[in-house]
Amino acid sequence: MAEATTTFWERLGLRKASGVGEAGWGQTLFAAVISLIYFLPVLLFIVTSFKLQTEALAVPPKFFPTSFFGLILDQYIFSPTLANFTSVFSRAYTAGAAAESTGFDRFFFNSIFIASTSVLLALVIGTLAAYGFSRYPLRGNDTYLFIILTTRMLPAIVVIIPVILMFRVAGLAGSYPGIIFLYTAFNLPFTIWMMKSFFDELSPDVEDAARIDGSSETRVFFKICLPQVLAGLAATFVFGLILTWNEFLFALLLTGVDTRTVPVALNQAVAGGGIGVLWGLLAAIETLFLIPVFLVTFFLQNQLLRGVTFGTVKR
Amino acid sequence: MSPVDEQQPQFGTLAPDNWKLAIVVGLAVSALAILSLPVKDSFWVTGAMVAMVAAAFVVNAYRRHYYGGLLVSPAIAVLFVMNIFPLLWSLGLSFFAYQSNQQNIRFIGLHNYEQLLTNDLKAPELWGNLTNTAMFVVLTVTAQMIVGFLLAVLFAKQFPLRRYLLILVLTPMMLSVVAVGVFFSYYYDPTFGLLSQAIKAWAGGEQFILMSNKAGAVAGIVFADAWMWSPFVMLLVLAGLVSVPKYLYEAAAIDRVSSWRRFWSITFPYIRGLLMLALLFRTIEAFKLADLVILLTKGANDTMTISYHVIRIANEQNKTSEGAALSYLLLFVVIVLTNLYLYIANRRARGN
Amino acid sequence: MSTIEARKITKKFGDFVAVKDADLSVAAGEVVCLLGPSGCGKTTTLRMIAGLERVTSGDIIIAGKRMNELAPEKRDIAMVFQFYALYPALNVGENIAMPLHYEKISKPERDRRVKRVADILHLTDVLDRMPGQVSEGEKQRIAVARAIVREPNCFLFDEPLSRLDVELRHSMRGQIKEVLAGLSKATVIVTHDQLEALTMADRIAIMRDGIIEQIGTPHQVFTKPANVFVASFIGTPQMNLVRGKFEGMSDGKATIQFGGEKVELGVNPAVAKLKPSQVTLGIRPRAFTPVDHSAKDTIVAAAELIEPMGAETLVHARTPDNSDIRVVVPRDVKFKIGEKLHLRADPSQTHIFGEDGKAVRA
Repeated sequence: MAEATTTFWERLGLRKASGVGEAGWGQTLFAAVISLIYFLPVLLFIVTSFKLQTEALAVPPKFFPTSFFGLILDQYIFSPTLANFTSVFSRAYTAGAAAESTGFDRFFFNSIFIASTSVLLALVIGTLAAYGFSRYPLRGNDTYLFIILTTRMLPAIVVIIPVILMFRVAGLAGSYPGIIFLYTAFNLPFTIWMMKSFFDELSPDVEDAARIDGSSETRVFFKICLPQVLAGLAATFVFGLILTWNEFLFALLLTGVDTRTVPVALNQAVAGGGIGVLWGLLAAIETLFLIPVFLVTFFLQNQLLRGVTFGTVKR
Repeated sequence: MSPVDEQQPQFGTLAPDNWKLAIVVGLAVSALAILSLPVKDSFWVTGAMVAMVAAAFVVNAYRRHYYGGLLVSPAIAVLFVMNIFPLLWSLGLSFFAYQSNQQNIRFIGLHNYEQLLTNDLKAPELWGNLTNTAMFVVLTVTAQMIVGFLLAVLFAKQFPLRRYLLILVLTPMMLSVVAVGVFFSYYYDPTFGLLSQAIKAWAGGEQFILMSNKAGAVAGIVFADAWMWSPFVMLLVLAGLVSVPKYLYEAAAIDRVSSWRRFWSITFPYIRGLLMLALLFRTIEAFKLADLVILLTKGANDTMTISYHVIRIANEQNKTSEGAALSYLLLFVVIVLTNLYLYIANRRARGN
Repeated sequence: MSTIEARKITKKFGDFVAVKDADLSVAAGEVVCLLGPSGCGKTTTLRMIAGLERVTSGDIIIAGKRMNELAPEKRDIAMVFQFYALYPALNVGENIAMPLHYEKISKPERDRRVKRVADILHLTDVLDRMPGQVSEGEKQRIAVARAIVREPNCFLFDEPLSRLDVELRHSMRGQIKEVLAGLSKATVIVTHDQLEALTMADRIAIMRDGIIEQIGTPHQVFTKPANVFVASFIGTPQMNLVRGKFEGMSDGKATIQFGGEKVELGVNPAVAKLKPSQVTLGIRPRAFTPVDHSAKDTIVAAAELIEPMGAETLVHARTPDNSDIRVVVPRDVKFKIGEKLHLRADPSQTHIFGEDGKAVRA
């Protein structure tokens, strides 16, 4: 049968697999169902963030914000509210009292500022080091690399006690530079490993050609090498961001009132609920907190996929 | 390109690349500062001197084209200050009796280690926590590898909504562990939690208390951890899967290769390295499992892990040096495991 | 019977038409080359035959069976890929044996067949090596070995020699031709190299912009190009194509005016039916004979550049109307730069193409 025109289903992308490496609509549907099931726990707490406390604790659970034109029984419907989102930033701590700021605007700023600064710093320092390790191997190069990787292996607590003592002496405890510097070190090992694998994959011929054409070493690095590893930079950035954004233990022990990040504040909100855990509020905090890193990952996901091979795949 | 000056600068000359002079001056100034100034100020003076020496090294390396050292040095410096130096410090600390809430400090040699390994109370506890940790490592890593691999296979082919579905699956990895802990305890709650209600509706009974025994508690923790980190394994495996050149699959189609054989002969070699890497990363992380345990069970029902144990000793009980000693025992285990892994990986690589 | 037939196959990628209404039939034992510049749709045509791309419309018939919807696995074909597509994790022997697993034969039998093709293609010594450890020429032979190790309906080659150097190409051309001759299967070879097509093919299909311009034996496409494109594409040095005005025909000689001069050239009798119009005159560089003096049937041109090519000499010359023509003369015929050439063309090799670009021929 000749298929001269594309059908409605084909335009939707739901067609028989037309070539090698493409999934048919059956597999597409299956993948969609599995993905939604996998996403369900996240979806449920996003839904919870729109519920009042009584609805969050309701038995049976109220899943749906509307009746979907009468399809859903009333007992499963809750009335969505944005109250949780406003009380993330300001709320009354005791009944009847005036609403006061919770400081969460500050915590969100802290999280964004600390995570982005330290990840970018690690990216700059780590990329330079990776280029050095890849292009100008030192004596005992592999040993250095192994030691660098080992620093990620041990429990954070081993490092943290001396770091706390050191920060106290230097007056860095609870300050921005302290935690940023620490996170930079925390991100460096895998930044170096990932970026080195990218530089290793590049053909040195191009660089040599540029050198023969009279390019300086700086020019070779910025104009020849760096543009070729942009996917790697993006992947490393996303990785570092996800890890740093959610880091809890260091932040708990090393941030002060002014530099507290959202995970720490979230933990305090869990503990300090008073009458019981305010599930809707916690859900709202985490929903807001998820958005930035979700967006970054979404927009860089192609680079992330190309970037995380760590040099194990020879192209 | 400027000509390379092979000659090191004379010791006496005042030049920006005279690192020998910089070291001597730096040492002298630092010593003076430590002797005469308060602790905090002398710290910063010493820091400035270190920066000066570093600058001298950098200028020297640049003038003599030691690009390798030049490029690597900032990273090494940061890692030294933030990782290696504290590590050595805590290694030293592990030979002392020191509690962070007390002033006195006393050298006791290997006593901390000896206590941990032989004391009637501490050794069984340590051993119990180690076996718990091993159990968590095996269960969570196995679950993550299987689920992550299957998810990756599901997304290996191109299909229309792939981009959007993929980000949904990756989301758990982007959550804060605190949030995961909080929400799984919400879902596991005996009264209003979804799990309890689902089981009630299905099997009857009053309520279902998942955390009432060890098996349930472990299952709860493993499930949450595997759910959160399977996407990481998936990402690595998927990266391997999409890097298989399409023409190999085309050739396999022409050669009428069965899908089983196609997987083992063509696909698997591309993801083997990444699977091993995912295994290594996740094993190391699983060894450090503590936060989920703290948030879900607080160590109840015999779910204490070694890492949580360290945090408890060092932070909650302020037994700093004992915690340090315990960390080093743990680090030893991790390094042995890593080397075992590298040995196997290398042997496989040589086998090919 | 091992035959391939493509009936009016068309492939669209979105709005882009890669192949349009291509008709092609290959008989058992016949080798057909798809020849054309890059991007002409020849590889797409091959991939449609293989089942790696689905046809947008038209029919693919292999061994007498319509196979439009069948996956490549079901078509029982063998193909050699441009980049060889050797499985990197398998050694050479395992690579060659890969298509045999489908047939569920015993291991000794499999080994025997691998050994047999390895002997034919001189690969016996490298059977245990990995694809990354063999030379480019060996990779090419492994790809061919993998294709001929079984008895498929037909063979497809996608630019099989494009990655080899000149010498290897020459010897591989001979080898592949020899191997194919012993198999009597329908074979399609995609190439952009006309020498490859002319030497290996029984028939050549010349493609441009998704359309098959002409199908014929190497001799036919060389001596009787169907249109200006084929004429310019086949043959080195390229055929001289000069615009002129056809004024009439008498005595089997056409009067053509260009650059203010009139010449009377012996041409195909069918030209007589042509009305006076603009035409393109096509004469191959080797179809000229230099003569001593001007005559009615000679073209005059001044030598501008002389390139000795060994046995022959290539002369670039300029006619009074400023068109550049190429002339190949035996090496003992000597010219000086600037010298006036009087060239007489062989009437049987003088082609007239009408305003639509098609050859005017009986």
